[in-house]
Amino acid sequence: MSTLTVANLYAGYGDVDIVTDLSLRVEPLEIVTIAGTNGSGKSTLVKGLMGLLKRIRGRVDFEGTSLLGVPGERRIHMGIAYVPQVNNVFASLTVLENLQVVEGVSDRRRRMAEMLDRFPALQERRSTKAGALSGGERQQLAFARALMASPRLMILDEPTAALSPALVHEVLRLITALRGMGVAVLLVEQRARQALAISDRGYILDSGRVVIEDRADRLLADERMADLYLGEH
Amino acid sequence: MGSAYLINLAFNGVILGLIVALAALSITLVFGIARFPNAATGDVATVGAFAGLAVTATGGGTAAILGFGVLTAAGLSLLFYLILFRGLADKPPVASLIASIGLAFFVRAVLTFFVGHNQQVYPLPIVRAVPFGPLRVQPTDLQVIAVAVLALAAVFALLHLTAIGRRMRAVADNPDLARASGIAATRVLVVMWLCAGALAGVSGTLLGIKTVVSPEMGWDLLMPAFAATILGTIGNPVGAVLGGLLIGLAQELSTPIVGFTYKIGVGFLVLLLMLLVRPQGLFAGNALVR
Repeated sequence: MSTLTVANLYAGYGDVDIVTDLSLRVEPLEIVTIAGTNGSGKSTLVKGLMGLLKRIRGRVDFEGTSLLGVPGERRIHMGIAYVPQVNNVFASLTVLENLQVVEGVSDRRRRMAEMLDRFPALQERRSTKAGALSGGERQQLAFARALMASPRLMILDEPTAALSPALVHEVLRLITALRGMGVAVLLVEQRARQALAISDRGYILDSGRVVIEDRADRLLADERMADLYLGEH
Repeated sequence: MGSAYLINLAFNGVILGLIVALAALSITLVFGIARFPNAATGDVATVGAFAGLAVTATGGGTAAILGFGVLTAAGLSLLFYLILFRGLADKPPVASLIASIGLAFFVRAVLTFFVGHNQQVYPLPIVRAVPFGPLRVQPTDLQVIAVAVLALAAVFALLHLTAIGRRMRAVADNPDLARASGIAATRVLVVMWLCAGALAGVSGTLLGIKTVVSPEMGWDLLMPAFAATILGTIGNPVGAVLGGLLIGLAQELSTPIVGFTYKIGVGFLVLLLMLLVRPQGLFAGNALVR
């Protein structure tokens, strides 16, 4: 059974569909990249998957269970975590509080200890407000927060946007490590060459539709398509 | 004008400031989480004060006034959320603001219809003031200070030491991330509206104990409370409390210069100067609830 199945999805705002007739899937432990230029519908797709849109129809199944009509706050209980592009931590809460507020955690004390072991930089900063963390520490906290409820799918919205090259490398390393934690990844990126390099498959979006779907290595090998849709090297 | 006079004015300023701070904290909680300035805060405080007055008819003392006043105001606040503000949550904040203004007028009109415009007082025993050096302290004043400080401490303890408090601060900080983290906004909002109502209720009953009870008392409280909220950075609970104390002190200490009638204007002068010099408020960099 696929981890995530999206079929014939239409989603948008007000009276307008931004995403039209979109289908994709994520298999267990896969890393799948969604790439596309500005305005291609990536953010609308993510908001639709996370239950943040009213205008949505089609089919969205997580491990065979429909997500349509399920409130956004229930997704973490079902096994779906989300890391937004910006504001991906609670800036006015401490590191520990960021981990404490996550719902759907069975053994919170043990899980928090695991997260602090996995991300040692957070251990020393446990009482620091997240807004005062460095960029790298902040990204680690965003991943730790998302991992608290032991998800089986993590949706990442442009996790490398506006990061320094060194931090981009660190974030890609974290994403690659997710597979070893039993987590499949749906990775949404605008400049997607580096994302595809760590992915199994990729989808290219244009004007709210999937225009190309293929294995990540094949997408990267097609130079003309890569120049059109994957941004700079 | 002797120093004893100024010390007594400052003491009164602290008491008034604490009462304003309670209402300001109510406003800042609603703004931080429900995202609009609730203009009905003062009138919820008035209802709390009148509920306290009603319980005195059955022989209730200060504790009964406070208890019944706070419960009534908290219940009314929750009711307003359930029947009005919940339905407006998806609309722009100005819709909730205008609704709260209408609600404030409605509550005041209903109160006036039933109780009239007359000022009333709680039938509490009159006690002689006790001198502490130059300061003359009414035992009631100490009770007012104790209750206000306890109420403020209880809200800060709720926000920082409990799971629901952390969730409230998370929703205030980042509603979408809170939802993605599994926090059910409805539960948070119910607790927040109960808290905001209870704070308004404490503020109204303490103001009634300190001064008089009238349908207009909440409106008179609302303006300094808004000033305190903005002074202390809107959405910042610590700022709301400090803003309340500053407004209270400024009003009372200005009495010898501007007189009793116009002292309320001083709070607004402070507010105007603040908006001109530092519009984000005094504590913008230290927000607890954004």
